[in-house]
Amino acid sequence: MSADAVYLDYAATTPPAPEVVAAMNAVLRDPLAFANPASIHAAGRAAAAVEARARASLARLLGADPARLVWTSGATEADNQAIIGGARFRAHRGRHLVTLRTEHKAVVDAFGALEREGFEVSWLTPRGDGRLAAAELEAALRPDTQLVSVMHVNNETGVVQDIAALGALCRERDILFHCDAAQSAGKLPLDLASLPVDLLSVSAHKLYGPAGIGALYLAARDGCGVEPLLHGGGQQRRLRPGTLPVALIAGFGAAAELAAGRVEADLAHVHALRRRFVDGIAALPGLRINESREAQYPGILNVSAAGVEGESLLLALEPLCVASGSACNSLSGEPSYVLRALGLDDALAQASIRLSFGRGTRAADIDFALATYISAVRQLRRIAPEAAA
Amino acid sequence: MNTAPAYSERVRALFARPAHAGDAAGPRVDLARGDSRIVLSAELADGRLARLAFRAFGCPHLIAAAEAACAACEGRGTDALAAWEARAAIAELAVPLEKTGRILSLEDAIRALHEKLTASVPGRN
Repeated sequence: MSADAVYLDYAATTPPAPEVVAAMNAVLRDPLAFANPASIHAAGRAAAAVEARARASLARLLGADPARLVWTSGATEADNQAIIGGARFRAHRGRHLVTLRTEHKAVVDAFGALEREGFEVSWLTPRGDGRLAAAELEAALRPDTQLVSVMHVNNETGVVQDIAALGALCRERDILFHCDAAQSAGKLPLDLASLPVDLLSVSAHKLYGPAGIGALYLAARDGCGVEPLLHGGGQQRRLRPGTLPVALIAGFGAAAELAAGRVEADLAHVHALRRRFVDGIAALPGLRINESREAQYPGILNVSAAGVEGESLLLALEPLCVASGSACNSLSGEPSYVLRALGLDDALAQASIRLSFGRGTRAADIDFALATYISAVRQLRRIAPEAAA
Repeated sequence: MNTAPAYSERVRALFARPAHAGDAAGPRVDLARGDSRIVLSAELADGRLARLAFRAFGCPHLIAAAEAACAACEGRGTDALAAWEARAAIAELAVPLEKTGRILSLEDAIRALHEKLTASVPGRN
């Protein structure tokens, strides 16, 4: 990244907090804590103590019982473990599953894999604002439905789903309810002690922790379980074998501890930044903000500009580090399936960008982003043939 | 997520400063294909392309190629349009394979403009 680049892609990944780097360095430099926490010797016990502290920190952030957390390599693995493992665990009861078309690829593709195994998946389309109505989910549930997956905060739009209401519908029917909380953990208040969520995926690098470590929460209730996807050692109650990466876990723990103390402050910060950008583009015609007025995480702002071509917009926006309307599909150049599901046509979906703000974003960054965005849209509209502009 | 394609310095420069973006007061060609659209217009003076302009809705390579084509042909005779080749532009701008169709469309638009111009000038073909 060049020195003049402005990073507005916190939904993709966040820079590790200094406290995280310190915690990881402490483990890496410790003469004992590098060890395998499953070992019973002194070094193993030192590593196990580090792991236990991190586990407790993450559990506090989520309002969960520490014993109900399983470390994974990230949210993608946690999603796969929850969905594929959960569906297989309950397959003897039924093979019908439900999810949303606007879920993260890790969820969409996991359900796709289950369809190829013979499971039946109902793909629900949210309302125009990206929210799933509880009645819509209720109508899709059947006696043979075994698992429902709905993300908490959408990674492209920031739209927040009512997981309390959706999860309650599932809990009443003894259906496993999985929630991908990669974009909300540490950013919105979460209390698994009171939420009817059976399985929840989180990732460290979305909340200023290191990449390569995540976790899956499993509720302690009858019928809630997952089949392991990996086989090997007996670590983590055989649910997820493999030697634990203690330094990464320590970093995750430090990130969780930090987040727990500043969720509200971080939220207020990104809310102010969002307001500043939205106010700044108000005078520019032909824009659409892809959001829910009802429930929106302010740290993610998705905006579409009519009359401009997406790839050209992205180049014109340099040196802003933002995600394009083909978010998560940028290698394919395909328009975002999330925005398409919300009713945007291909052209408008491709002319959409996602800005995501975080702790390191300053008001001056927003002002620079505003000036760059307005200039880019005006320039591309000036170049475009009239009917397109 | 933001894996922007690589662009050469030449493409970046042409894209950033499209001096020929706009309209010329003369014959005009409007070609839309797929997700791209190119509009070319020219103003003749003494048999020469006194002003050549473009409008484009498309990727940076298309905009850069259109700007490069206008810059190369402006001030010359209309035969310069007939001589312009997509193949050379694709090489010069290192256009990725999947985008070459857009540059071929630009060539078609340039050929169509040439035909219009030669048809409008008596005694020329």
